[in-house]
Amino acid sequence: MTHQTHAFHMVNPSPWPLTGAFSALLLTSGLVMWFHYNSATLLSLGLLANTLTMYQWWRDVIREGTYQGHHTPIVQKGLRYGMILFIVSEVFFFAGFFWAFYHSSLVPTHDLGGCWPPTGITPLNPLEVPLLNTSVLLASGVSITWAHHSLMEGKRNNMNQALLITILLGVYFTILQASEYFETSFSISDGIYGSTFFMATGFHGLHVIIGSTFLIICLLRQLNFHFTSKHHFGFEAAAWYWHFVDVVWLFLYVSIYWWGS
Amino acid sequence: MVWSASPSSSRNERSYWTHAQRHKCGFLLQALRQIAQRTVSTTSRRNFENKVSEKQKLFQEDNGVPVHLKGGASDALLYRLTMALTVGGTAYALYQLAVAAFPKKQN
Repeated sequence: MTHQTHAFHMVNPSPWPLTGAFSALLLTSGLVMWFHYNSATLLSLGLLANTLTMYQWWRDVIREGTYQGHHTPIVQKGLRYGMILFIVSEVFFFAGFFWAFYHSSLVPTHDLGGCWPPTGITPLNPLEVPLLNTSVLLASGVSITWAHHSLMEGKRNNMNQALLITILLGVYFTILQASEYFETSFSISDGIYGSTFFMATGFHGLHVIIGSTFLIICLLRQLNFHFTSKHHFGFEAAAWYWHFVDVVWLFLYVSIYWWGS
Repeated sequence: MVWSASPSSSRNERSYWTHAQRHKCGFLLQALRQIAQRTVSTTSRRNFENKVSEKQKLFQEDNGVPVHLKGGASDALLYRLTMALTVGGTAYALYQLAVAAFPKKQN
């Protein structure tokens, strides 16, 4: 029986990159079928195959790290680089939507009335629910930091509570934002204002949902004793992602909700 | 809110059964008490007991099984389902592409 004499991780052959790639084909072709031929079958197949791939791929990463011990310090370093680079790519993704917003709002065209917000658009009051949303996410940033410190200090009950509070705040934000979407007097089709507003806040909301899901997985892992006070990179990755989501909201609030009104 | 194994509760359980026996509360009543205590307390404890070392043993077994199948029969089932959806879906996508590429002529 030969065993490795190095600290790196040589992964077992896995089917998930293949199923992931093909599920992306099903998702994209599914969107075409849904938009143009009024059929949601392919899209549903794609969503299901994609979800199953994500579940099994990340389940395997947990097996490799927590159960098989493959996440040595140098492997963990690679995982850290990976998460950081992914978040940087997401920053660039949002930069595009902010570029579009500022391009249209700094020099509003004649057909908008030469002003921002455009003529006929009644923006949401930034001091009402949007401000509450800001405080909710800022508070969740505090609670997740409390959770991290509790984890590092071995305070199990504190960690569980703080992580739960963070998740509940994330869910609260999502509910509030969803209700705000019904409150707007404008829709996504209402000119460039509607487009920039809903694309930027919509993708942000999706990222809040993704972040909350990641945190829920962390809570389940924490309850099942996966994390130690010294080794809990999954939680740190979730915390980084959550802080990123919070910062994007702050930019959204200041630019679109506040300056943009 | 957090379930945790606490030594004090198991001590109470043992003294409770002894109390029932001592006061001759009847075999049936005692049995019911034992079942109630066992299901309530151990169910919650069973949910969040540290089973990591068992999992470590299972996944470190030197049997040559790749990690995506190493958990057992349910792994194979889920893999087959995912692969079936992927392959089937791809075939369906290619079929729809063929249908879309060669529209039926209408007179």
